[in-house]
Amino acid sequence: MQVFNIPRAIKQNSNFTFCPGCDHGVAIRLVAQIIDELKLQEKTIAVASSGCSVLLYDFLDVDCIESPHGRACAVATGIKRAHRALNNDRFVFTYQGDGDFASIGLAESMHSALRGENITAICINNTNYGMTGGQLGPTTTMGQITTTSPDGRNAHYHGFPIKTAEQIALCEGTSFSARAALYDVKNILSTKNIIKKAFQYQIEGLGFSFVEILSSCPTNWKLSPKDSHLKIQNELTKVYPLGIFKDVKND
Amino acid sequence: MNKKELLKGNIAIAKAALNCGCKCYFGYPITPQTEIGEFLSKEMQQRKLAYVCAESEVAAINMALGAASTGAKVMTSSSSCAVSLMQEAISYASSDELPIVLINVMRAGPGQGYIYPSQGDYNQATTGGGNGDYRTIVLSPSNVQECVDLTYKAFYLSQKYRNPTILLVDGLLGQMAEPVEINDNPYQEIDNSSWRLDGANERPSRNIHSLEPNQNKLNRHIIELFKKYTIIEQNECDYEEYMTQDAKVILTAFGTMARHAKALCNYYREKGIKMGLFRPKTLYPFPYKKLNELSQKTNLIIDIEMNMGQMLKDVRLAVLSNARVAFIGKPVGDWLTEEEMIKAADNILKEQYASI
Ligand SMILES: Cc1ncc(C[n+]2csc(CCOP(=O)(O)OP(=O)(O)O)c2C)c(N)n1
Repeated sequence: MQVFNIPRAIKQNSNFTFCPGCDHGVAIRLVAQIIDELKLQEKTIAVASSGCSVLLYDFLDVDCIESPHGRACAVATGIKRAHRALNNDRFVFTYQGDGDFASIGLAESMHSALRGENITAICINNTNYGMTGGQLGPTTTMGQITTTSPDGRNAHYHGFPIKTAEQIALCEGTSFSARAALYDVKNILSTKNIIKKAFQYQIEGLGFSFVEILSSCPTNWKLSPKDSHLKIQNELTKVYPLGIFKDVKND
Repeated sequence: MNKKELLKGNIAIAKAALNCGCKCYFGYPITPQTEIGEFLSKEMQQRKLAYVCAESEVAAINMALGAASTGAKVMTSSSSCAVSLMQEAISYASSDELPIVLINVMRAGPGQGYIYPSQGDYNQATTGGGNGDYRTIVLSPSNVQECVDLTYKAFYLSQKYRNPTILLVDGLLGQMAEPVEINDNPYQEIDNSSWRLDGANERPSRNIHSLEPNQNKLNRHIIELFKKYTIIEQNECDYEEYMTQDAKVILTAFGTMARHAKALCNYYREKGIKMGLFRPKTLYPFPYKKLNELSQKTNLIIDIEMNMGQMLKDVRLAVLSNARVAFIGKPVGDWLTEEEMIKAADNILKEQYASI
């Protein structure tokens, strides 16, 4: 009896290299399931970024290119535009951390949204620079202790965090912008629907589609996997509310 | 034969790029190269090609990186301080073995410098301004016709060797109009079906990356890159010689400076001094071997550049102890005049030949 199918778009015999309790693996599995469901495997080019998910191409069984830290949306723009110039219709998405998307790459991310670039960006928000060991990043919450904010984030000293999904929703070229979370089964299922919608908007040629996913980082948060997910449910969703902030079909 | 037209270097480069099938251009304005992007904006939109007014040079070169991974011919252009911004992605593209053509129409530095003439980016272009062990092919035109010819060649070599290739252009040349012929692209198309990212359709998925957490694999990758560079060095050295056959004194210069150097050769030949010129057209690979051969028959090499002596070190590496190497240069501003060069050359020649 098989109870759990590995999606076709996940490479056979590949093992996730993420820390125990990290949500990156869940998010990547959802992406792979949707690639299967929308039959995108043969026409997808994925753009990996610098961060914990840098080895995306080891897990996803689609064509994939690495981008320099922060530049994923620019790289994706180049791929999408070049294929269009070659008369190819290809599906292009980025998979980035919040530091990658909203700090070092904010210009590339926001301008891709403003241009209405017909790509999809997925941003894993774990409120720190995970790969480098949990430093203060663009989404670190007020009071949050990190390795570079030992006394907690302080408005006077560090300034304020960015509400990425809300900001991207403000860009006229954005077709869809939403924030989702993965702390329980119900949310995992709704995150899947949200990513699927974002992918479909690209397929329909509606412009830049974006999903921010609140994700656990037990190692750097110094919490158990269970407590990390409780923190997302009870604390992070208050700072970063879940929901759809822009949907061209409903606006 | 096509008709000659009067074109600025910048426009000639843009026309040549279109003519040889450039499908994508990404750029951000900076003098003295802005006309390239302005010209292409109209032409590429009309042809339904990929053109993006990028938000920065960082974005432009990364768009080029993505676009190159599809196998399409890709170009970006910029100038000096802004080319500095692109170096991270050039380093990535070298490791990824992606064919990007980068046009650098030079201005003066360091930093913002100014739009004055200068050849100050030789070092950055030839030794790599980014991190790690890598090389970029660097071509150097000295007139507007060569802006066309070497643009074709830049696309060809970048595709042939899957390597970023830089056309290093003097600002002077970008802005100067000369009669040129936009001839047909003489190079063959390179098949890229074995590596391009166009979707894993009836083939295994592919990935392109520079990250390599396994040190043995990373070592092997870089050693493979250097095997490729050795082949480039063996096959692609290109240069021009002017009256070198019987020359006792050889001038070395690149780009537009070589034209002034030719005038110098003519001047001194009238005075009975057998002077010739050696001009590398490929700055990487630098034609060490040929210059070494020439230097064995001479006793004086004078390197002339609009910088403080950047190609000079390659000239010295080529000449070794075969001949004395002298330098005439100026970092930025009004191009060295013939009088200035003659004055400097007279002094050098006096030291060499007490009789002059
Ligand atoms: C230009 C550049 N600066 C810094 C780094 C080092 N670096 C690699 S990943 C990373 C942070 C990643 O954080 P985030 O994007 O939030 O993703 P996460 O690792 O948390 O998933 C940093 C700073 C780099 N590789 N390149």
